[in-house]
Amino acid sequence: MSLSNALLTGDLNQLPGRRDEDWRWTDLRGVIKTAPPRSPIDDRVLAAGPFGSLEGQEILIINGQSSAGLELVIAPDTRQVVRLRLVSTTDGTSHTVAFKVKLGAGAELVLLESHEGLADGYISSVDLDFDLAEGGRLERIVIADDGAHAISVNRSHVVMGPKSSFSQSVLTRGARRQRIETVLVHPGAEAQVEMNGVYLLDGQRHADITTSVEHAGPGGVTRQLTKGVVRDQSRGVFQGRILVDAGADQTEAKMGHHALILSDRAEVDARPELLIHADDVQCAHGNTIGALDEEALFYMCQRGLPEEEARSLLIAAFVDEVVCLIRDSAAQDCTRTWISDARGRT
Amino acid sequence: MVAVKKTVQQVENLEKYQHGFVTSIEQDFAPKGLSADTIAFISEKKGEPKWMLDWRMAAYERWLALNEPDWAKVSFPKIDFQDSYYYAAPKERTGPASLDEVDPEILETYAKLGIPLREQEVLAGVIGSPRYAVDAVFDSVSVVTTFKKELAAVGVIFCPMSEAIREHPELVQKYLGTVVPVSDNYYACLNSAVFSDGSFVYIPPGVRCPMELSTYFRINAAESGQFERTLIIADAGSYVSYLEGCTAPMRDENQLHAAVVELVALDDAEIKYSTVQNWYPGDPETGRGGIYNFVTKRADCRGARSKVSWTQVETGSAITWKYPSCILRGEGSVGEFYSIAITNGRQQADTGTKMIHLGANTRSRIISKGISAGRSSNTYRGLVSIHPKAGGARNFTQCDSLLIGKTCAAHTVPYVEARNGSCVLEHEATTTRLSEDQLFYAMQRGFSQEEAVQLLVNGFVKEVLQELPMEFAVEAQKLVAISLEGSVG
Repeated sequence: MSLSNALLTGDLNQLPGRRDEDWRWTDLRGVIKTAPPRSPIDDRVLAAGPFGSLEGQEILIINGQSSAGLELVIAPDTRQVVRLRLVSTTDGTSHTVAFKVKLGAGAELVLLESHEGLADGYISSVDLDFDLAEGGRLERIVIADDGAHAISVNRSHVVMGPKSSFSQSVLTRGARRQRIETVLVHPGAEAQVEMNGVYLLDGQRHADITTSVEHAGPGGVTRQLTKGVVRDQSRGVFQGRILVDAGADQTEAKMGHHALILSDRAEVDARPELLIHADDVQCAHGNTIGALDEEALFYMCQRGLPEEEARSLLIAAFVDEVVCLIRDSAAQDCTRTWISDARGRT
Repeated sequence: MVAVKKTVQQVENLEKYQHGFVTSIEQDFAPKGLSADTIAFISEKKGEPKWMLDWRMAAYERWLALNEPDWAKVSFPKIDFQDSYYYAAPKERTGPASLDEVDPEILETYAKLGIPLREQEVLAGVIGSPRYAVDAVFDSVSVVTTFKKELAAVGVIFCPMSEAIREHPELVQKYLGTVVPVSDNYYACLNSAVFSDGSFVYIPPGVRCPMELSTYFRINAAESGQFERTLIIADAGSYVSYLEGCTAPMRDENQLHAAVVELVALDDAEIKYSTVQNWYPGDPETGRGGIYNFVTKRADCRGARSKVSWTQVETGSAITWKYPSCILRGEGSVGEFYSIAITNGRQQADTGTKMIHLGANTRSRIISKGISAGRSSNTYRGLVSIHPKAGGARNFTQCDSLLIGKTCAAHTVPYVEARNGSCVLEHEATTTRLSEDQLFYAMQRGFSQEEAVQLLVNGFVKEVLQELPMEFAVEAQKLVAISLEGSVG
């Protein structure tokens, strides 16, 4: 059951809906009533994407079509920066993408992934497979800038070798329905996982950040921090699952989700899960949802800042904690610019 | 050092499941299996008016159309609902009018369980403690309810549900099924069709119930289920503290306990509901036998500033599947949930709470402590839902799980839904094992490993134990020790 199956087969019964526990807050069945036509081939020349100012190879996929192939292989012991641009250009159409990324032993990749909506309402389903060999290091930074009426599902499946490292930062403005899902099998064995995210939603946008980490071997470390800001009638969803298999002792997993609700009609739904089958573990999650801290606001206003500016500063500082976790400093600057642009647009 | 001595003493007194005996007594049964005839039989046995029978029949019709839920993290063979008795009661002579007429076997059973059925008595061994009114439910019927006269003097109604249906139909009709609707879920629907005795409590406006009320549930008959129904109504400005205890014999078969508890708190009223659940957990080695405890408990804080506090100590049952919940409807109403769930052997527990914030400035607090040992599995599943009109709503949730041993599992599955801009929700959860350092420290001071574990576990659950009425807290602490026996080493 998935969006891509439904689009590929035209069978809308394959769509996940409210009655599917993992999709209860991201109902696709209710919003896709007919199967839209396939998106056309579009070979126009595009302006630079959100990571355009950074150097590195660019892979461009427009409406699910790519001239550069659908696989990226990084040779052992080499380092690369790649901009992966997934662009949707045509209203009322749909496309699917399946892309594979392979890192050889000791390889290092900074993947700057952008989902760009140049149209307003389309359906996009992206499946990404990541395979990290021993000692591979992947830093994945995702900017999801979909159209306000788009329906977009981005699912990643990550398999990691021993001593590998996977670090992910997702930044999104949401769409009509948007899900960014990462499913990861953690081998333990000195591998490191970090998965962070920011959602900034307004209007009637929806964003769902879902993660699942299965600790299959002993000694694994996972850190997660997701922050969100919702205003107007938007809806933010966070679902995080940490599963520790029997025998995966000395696992250390920490998950945090914190959201600001800035309007009485906005909504935040969260389900941080811990499923533990081993006893020698340290696992924890924290989840907070609320309005801006009135005391902090008062303090700043008292220091002479206009209220609007004080609010803006507090929100910027709130989400910047996640941006600071991006390791690649150039990408960090880029995302910071994107966030301030995104906030400026609201 | 007093606390330490107490713990050591408890460990010395450790025994396996203490309440596993069977009382040999003549009993009346409904014909085996579930059908409209069974329901008519139960209704007739209880001398119910027609409206009650119609209500049961309507529930039965709905139940036939429902499917058994399977979403909980528990696994068990499919229940054959036709292979069980839905009504089992000690053979009545004429219905006991006073304690002296109650079958001495039953009195002895309660004496063995430490439940005071004589009004001058107090709970085992606690001198000077407050008095308790007890409703003793034996299989499908209430055998005795104490202090009824003294309670009636202040207007408090405390009686078996079957009596309330006959004597206070206006109250029962007004409130029954309004908190847990007939078709709320599969097991609540089954309960609505076949329920037997539970307790009925009504506290009139402005009355502070002069003593703690308690119901003691005992399953005795083989191949039977217990389906009690409890309804507590606290009218404006009243207060009541209610305790519930339960045990069952050790048997190789699984027995179903599907109860429904409904609480209604009107303006400024407060209900404190405490449970110490000690159903037979099944054989720890083979997992054979034990009670399936599938219970629906819900409170409706209808009035402004009303408060409901659930405290539960879950140590028994082969499978526990229950979520005592609060619907915070009244402005400024408060819901609390304090829980200790302990699983050992091959027990499975999927328990937690739902706090539904509907009214403005409503507050809730959830403290859940789960302990898994042996080959058991323990899940906290909860929902905190803030509706758009619940401005200023506040929730604090803390779920801690402790794992003892390599073969057990602990899960935390909280759901949070916030639909209001002025709410504040905080949730934290941790899962760890007993700290090696602390164990080492305690053992170095001369405790055996088992004693040291008890000491640390007592510390872990202290926050919840202190919410229990004092006598229950003492019982519960012992129970914690017994439940974890044999979980280390």
